Amino acid sequence: MAAVRFPLARALLRLFAVQGSYNYERMLGVGVGVAEEPLLRDLADGRYGPAVARGAHFFNAHPYLIGLAVGAAARAEHEGATPDQVERLREALCGPLGSLGDRLVWAGWLPFLSGLTLAAVALGARWWAVAAFLVVYNVGHVALRWWALRAGWAYGTRVGVALHSPVLQKAAAVLGPAMACAVGAALPLTAEYLAAPFAATWARVALAVAAALGFLALRWRAGRLTGLQLGLGLSAAALAVGWLWP
Amino acid sequence: MSLPIEVAIALLVWGTLVGVDLVSLPQMMIARPLVAGTVAGAILGDIETGLKLGVVFELLQYDILPVGAVRYPEYGPATVAAVATAHASAGVLGLGLGALVGLVTGLIGGISIHVLRRWTSSIVHAAAATLESGDARALVRLHVGAMLRDGLRAALVTAVGLCLAWLARPLLGGALSPRDATLLAVAAVAAALAAGAAGTLRLVGRGRNLAWFAAGLGGGIGVAAWLP
Repeated sequence: MAAVRFPLARALLRLFAVQGSYNYERMLGVGVGVAEEPLLRDLADGRYGPAVARGAHFFNAHPYLIGLAVGAAARAEHEGATPDQVERLREALCGPLGSLGDRLVWAGWLPFLSGLTLAAVALGARWWAVAAFLVVYNVGHVALRWWALRAGWAYGTRVGVALHSPVLQKAAAVLGPAMACAVGAALPLTAEYLAAPFAATWARVALAVAAALGFLALRWRAGRLTGLQLGLGLSAAALAVGWLWP
Repeated sequence: MSLPIEVAIALLVWGTLVGVDLVSLPQMMIARPLVAGTVAGAILGDIETGLKLGVVFELLQYDILPVGAVRYPEYGPATVAAVATAHASAGVLGLGLGALVGLVTGLIGGISIHVLRRWTSSIVHAAAATLESGDARALVRLHVGAMLRDGLRAALVTAVGLCLAWLARPLLGGALSPRDATLLAVAAVAAALAAGAAGTLRLVGRGRNLAWFAAGLGGGIGVAAWLP
């Protein structure tokens, strides 16, 4: 491991920018190729170029877990896997890494901490709650990226073993309910916090009615109506009502 | 909104960093509206406004699940512009105008991300032969070029947002009565609460998580009712 410590560190640094060239043609492929390249430098001359080219092929997954694919593919190249085997390994990892990362991070760790921070701010916390969110979130973020890269490199083509790690499974099982509870608690507290500037009773009643109707519209038109469209629509309606109402 | 030039530049730099963080580098979540808004508030010497607008756009952010190639608005630079707008106008006028400017900036930001991705796609397509040759330098150059373009995009979106903030007060602020300003703020906060609740329920789904959501909701209502 000591011999690859520096290439692994370089690959980790590059992984922070893995989405830098996100595009609809290869998705994260180019970024994955860039992150994998330091781990391929000690391949023999005839194998380095094709391995770099394979690394930059189409790839899509959760950005924090892509290190697993980067490490595993690089290890497979070192162990003399055929081009077909490397391609199949990459293809096989797209779905599971995306799904696990979405559950762990986008639907777990991030909204859980965001919900706690929203509740803290609503209860009177100041900037330090936001600073704590950034620090705690990134402890998990960096640890996950580093673990993923090391595990990918350690397991190579057997990377599926790492995906079934009990710690990951436990984390995914705990973060779902924790997120639901934290954001559930945050919603009424933030509603109270945001309603505070509205002194008039009519304004509070209008807020409750508009929020309830907006919620029903978003549920009813799920996938077709977005929060942004609702916000712009309600703002336009508010300006129109203000203009028409003498 | 009339800001000292050094404050406007600081907001532009912050909005650019926030815009780049969303996708390109390093995704450390300074792009989350709560963070973007609080720091923008600190730059303006008005953390309270930064937190308030940060909470509004953080709730709107719950509507977004950034999976696959899904298209979404960009609320980071939008929150910076919203805070700059709200700072210039006190109370509910600031909240409503700030949210409106932020929503428009978020829309522009989302469109710019889509345009940039298409542009990068065409560049990657054109460079396919070079990439297939295994030229690592060309690969890195293409990647860094895409990141620089994203930085430029984020700076442009923030600049447009700050221009809207500069225009909003004279164009809209003076024309709104206190009642109109309240209506506008009610609309923005209602949309944020609706998006926050709907987005959360989509994340929570059914089953055990829904029970935990209900427990949290009950606890939150209890605390909100108990507080003075």
